[in-house]
Amino acid sequence: MLNLLNGPQTMGRGRVFWICAALVLAAALVYPAFADPYDVGNFGYFLIWIFMALGLCVMWGLCGMLSFGQTFFFGIGGYAYGVLAIILGNGPAATIVGLFGAVALAGLAAAVLGYFMIYGRISGVFFGIVTLSFTLALAFFLGQTAGPEWAIGRARLNGFNGMQGMSPLSVPWFGGPVVLEETALYYVLVAGLTATYLLLRVLANSRFGNVLVAVREDPERAELLGYDVRRYQLIAFVLGSALAGVSGVLYTSWGQFITPSSIGLPAAAMPIIWVAFSGRTDLTATLVGTFLLLVGFQTLTIYSQETALVVMGALLAATILFVPRGFVVGIGELLARPRRKRLAPALSPDDARP
Amino acid sequence: MMGNLFSYFYQFADVFSFLVLSAAGLAIIFGMMGVINMAHGEFIMCGVYVTAATFHAGLPLPLAQACGTLVAALIGMVLEVVLIRPLYNRPLDSLLVTWGLSLVATQGTLVLVGSTFPGIGTPGGGFEVGGYGFSVYRMVLFAASLLVLAFVYLLFMRTRFGVHARAVMQNAGMAQALGVRRSQVYALSFGIGAGLAGLCGALYAPTMSLIPTMGASFIVEAFVTVVVGGSSVLLGTAPAAAALAIVRTGLNAWYGQIIGQIGLLIAVILIIRVLPDGFSGWLAKRES
Amino acid sequence: MNRRSLLLGATAAPLLGLGHFAQAATPIKIGLLEDISGDLASIGLPKLHGSQLAADEVNAAGGIMGRPVELIHLDPQGDNARYQEFARRVLQRDKVDVLIGGITSASREAVRPIVDRLNAFYIYTNQYEGGVCDGSMLSVGAVPEQQLSTLLPWMVEKFGKKIYTIAADYNFGHLSSAWGNSILKPLGCEIVGEEFIPLGVSQFAQTIQNIQRAKPDWLYMLDVGAAQTSFYEQKNAAGVSLPMASPVKIMLGFEHKRFPPGVMKDMYAAANWFEELDTPGAENFKKRWRAKFPNEVYVNDMGYNAYVAVMMYKMLVERAKSTKKDDIRQVMAAGDAGIEAPEGRIVIDPKSQHCSHVMRLISVDAQNKVSTLKDFGDIKPYWLSQVGCDLTKSDPKEQYTPDHLPTR
Repeated sequence: MLNLLNGPQTMGRGRVFWICAALVLAAALVYPAFADPYDVGNFGYFLIWIFMALGLCVMWGLCGMLSFGQTFFFGIGGYAYGVLAIILGNGPAATIVGLFGAVALAGLAAAVLGYFMIYGRISGVFFGIVTLSFTLALAFFLGQTAGPEWAIGRARLNGFNGMQGMSPLSVPWFGGPVVLEETALYYVLVAGLTATYLLLRVLANSRFGNVLVAVREDPERAELLGYDVRRYQLIAFVLGSALAGVSGVLYTSWGQFITPSSIGLPAAAMPIIWVAFSGRTDLTATLVGTFLLLVGFQTLTIYSQETALVVMGALLAATILFVPRGFVVGIGELLARPRRKRLAPALSPDDARP
Repeated sequence: MMGNLFSYFYQFADVFSFLVLSAAGLAIIFGMMGVINMAHGEFIMCGVYVTAATFHAGLPLPLAQACGTLVAALIGMVLEVVLIRPLYNRPLDSLLVTWGLSLVATQGTLVLVGSTFPGIGTPGGGFEVGGYGFSVYRMVLFAASLLVLAFVYLLFMRTRFGVHARAVMQNAGMAQALGVRRSQVYALSFGIGAGLAGLCGALYAPTMSLIPTMGASFIVEAFVTVVVGGSSVLLGTAPAAAALAIVRTGLNAWYGQIIGQIGLLIAVILIIRVLPDGFSGWLAKRES
Repeated sequence: MNRRSLLLGATAAPLLGLGHFAQAATPIKIGLLEDISGDLASIGLPKLHGSQLAADEVNAAGGIMGRPVELIHLDPQGDNARYQEFARRVLQRDKVDVLIGGITSASREAVRPIVDRLNAFYIYTNQYEGGVCDGSMLSVGAVPEQQLSTLLPWMVEKFGKKIYTIAADYNFGHLSSAWGNSILKPLGCEIVGEEFIPLGVSQFAQTIQNIQRAKPDWLYMLDVGAAQTSFYEQKNAAGVSLPMASPVKIMLGFEHKRFPPGVMKDMYAAANWFEELDTPGAENFKKRWRAKFPNEVYVNDMGYNAYVAVMMYKMLVERAKSTKKDDIRQVMAAGDAGIEAPEGRIVIDPKSQHCSHVMRLISVDAQNKVSTLKDFGDIKPYWLSQVGCDLTKSDPKEQYTPDHLPTR
């Protein structure tokens, strides 16, 4: 299985890449020893969002389905975790049930909606807009739950002001449970993200991943070759959406707060921006690019005040115009170019054309 | 009785014109070029601001509105050449570029013009039917939406540009081989789409409060109309707007605005489930 | 400065009697979160200006206990997640002494768990739907019992008992409408219509018609956001002309400076601050504001409250002789902690940590002119302590509403 870590569907292979990756991971692990607690917490906060970016990378980059629905499942996960954590109370057992329950619910919702759309042969741009409609409908719905009648047990959805008062995730540990905050949360996120990233790499290079790419390149051809295209699409959609649910749970636990504005526009467009900027066809690019973009946008907002959004928009447009395959993929290809001449011509995962 | 009947018509006409006017520009750009223009709301905002600024400078309202439309169209054509042209074969990327553009436009307007802008005031006054008061200007908007539909029809069916445009739409390569200049057609289409967005803004400028982010309040309606309409403006936009207006008017009247809004989105999902290519895809299929 | 000079300084300072001076030079840091981009920029900008004016004046007058005030402003762009990020940043990284800001109730609720966890002190400067019973928070804006229990009975007396409510479908709208009902029903009023409008809706033909059908005596307006203010223009165009009452128009949204004359005609509001207020204290304040920000469209109550918040904080720190939250809370618990604000004297209620306000009834005429019709005098925030919130005894850190009351 480990040999599937490398393959045609993922950039970066060979000793140099893996040594670099190990160094980055090691640096991430020792980072809290040198940084002040705020930076560690903030760093961890960025990692929360990467799960949903990776999910979008799987369904859009690998399988060609542009979904505006990442924040829909983010919201399902977040709100479900909130409800469960409020009803079940704190402590590792309760919050971990909350985590898995919420992610399962997000996955289930994705299975139902995905079935509706994918088996209804909705594709291309329309897939994006139908998912956007779902997302906006959920945001509108949650926005109007301000009244006391919108409560599940003790958990009030609380409309636009958002749900709050849920206990943060905690894990059992030697010498008593540890609440996942700051440094503890950071380490769990680093571990979780590393595991997710490696598993998705294996998946992408497995037979399953190859079929996904075949579907992206030409669904009809894939179908004629005997694959049940819709089943593959549905699995990719559920997987990607469940990852958005993971982000939702983590975000809610991190701030003990979630509102409908994390679901509606403009939040719904953000994952697409991250992934497109990074290079949607590659997991590593998505991982690195999303992180850089999150750091970059926050830094811009802090230092450039009211011009931040102008700079962001201009940067984004410039990236798309001048680095067509995505920023990180572009750099990755630049780095790989001299090696590629010596090696066999790499399969170029061409742009997903809708 | 008379009042109630007219009021149903009035409500329907009001929602219908809002849907048609806000969607027409988006539909042309999407139908012609396959580009989803995320900056559509900002072209509307541009129409609003230019109209308001020229009106305050002393122009009569209709002229100010013409200015708003023209400026939006010109900006659209320039942006098409600079931003969209390099992305002809990458429609999804043009979505991102236009999204970036919309960020720059809203926040740029905020920084340059300020967070609020003095309003215009609705002309025309009111009239009464069966004991209810109605706004004359709303009827003007309805007429304008019908005129826009007629304009689009004539443009595509009765002009040389229309023939070229439809040729490019059906088969860009073949059309180019026959001497149609695709880039010219696209630049014009984008200009017309942006101009129609500007027109929408210009027409609604006297009825709304003006802030840089106001384009967003048109976006959801514009998108759903285009999706339900499908890729052809000629066949799709009018029936889509009519269908959605009926759904929305009914729900608004019986259950209030919240259900109206959610119901609109659910109707979209259901219609797309039944007609994956929208109304125009369905109509085109029936014709062939 | 390397370590040796630091050591030298540390040993030299007490010898030279500079210890006091060195301490005096460290500024008191105020973390400020105000939107200056995005949807709410038109409200966030005057708030930022109010804080800046206050900081300038405090520094010009020798600072707080001799220490200068330093504002650390970040722009959360109207995004709740950014509010969370930046609240952490200013509290943990910049180690500010107090956090001020937030516009929507959602942004306040986003910030509050972080403030509570980091045991910080937070001042919320907006008028809002009321009910937050949290020892870490001081609210300087007006709350419903101050705005509505003055305004609504006056409207009933003047215009009649049939009322149509139009509210944003938003916590503020729901709660204020419930507040309205609880005040109006005992007066024998009939709510002939109650409509909730989703945020961002800008078209009101149906609503206008419903109003005409219900034939109310006046409208109770609780709309929120720029899109919803389009209602006024559209209602006028349809020829509906009814008196209106609102706790958020005029002094907050300065619609009378943005809309053509006639649109806001017959709008009534109860305000602790509005720019047309002409007491000597108010005139002086406006002059100072206009000297610093000559292009301000309107000095609205949010900006004014932001100014008051800094002044209130100065008073609290000086009386507590400390910036520690516990010491400040002891001052607030005394019950007489207050300042002479431009509106008049305002005092912190010890049980709820909300402020009393001098409320005035204002109205707009057909020429967009604002006039003061009545001075209600000093109105205390009484609701929270009435339902059992007593921060001098316990700190539940909750937001209570009429349908979510503390369990006694």
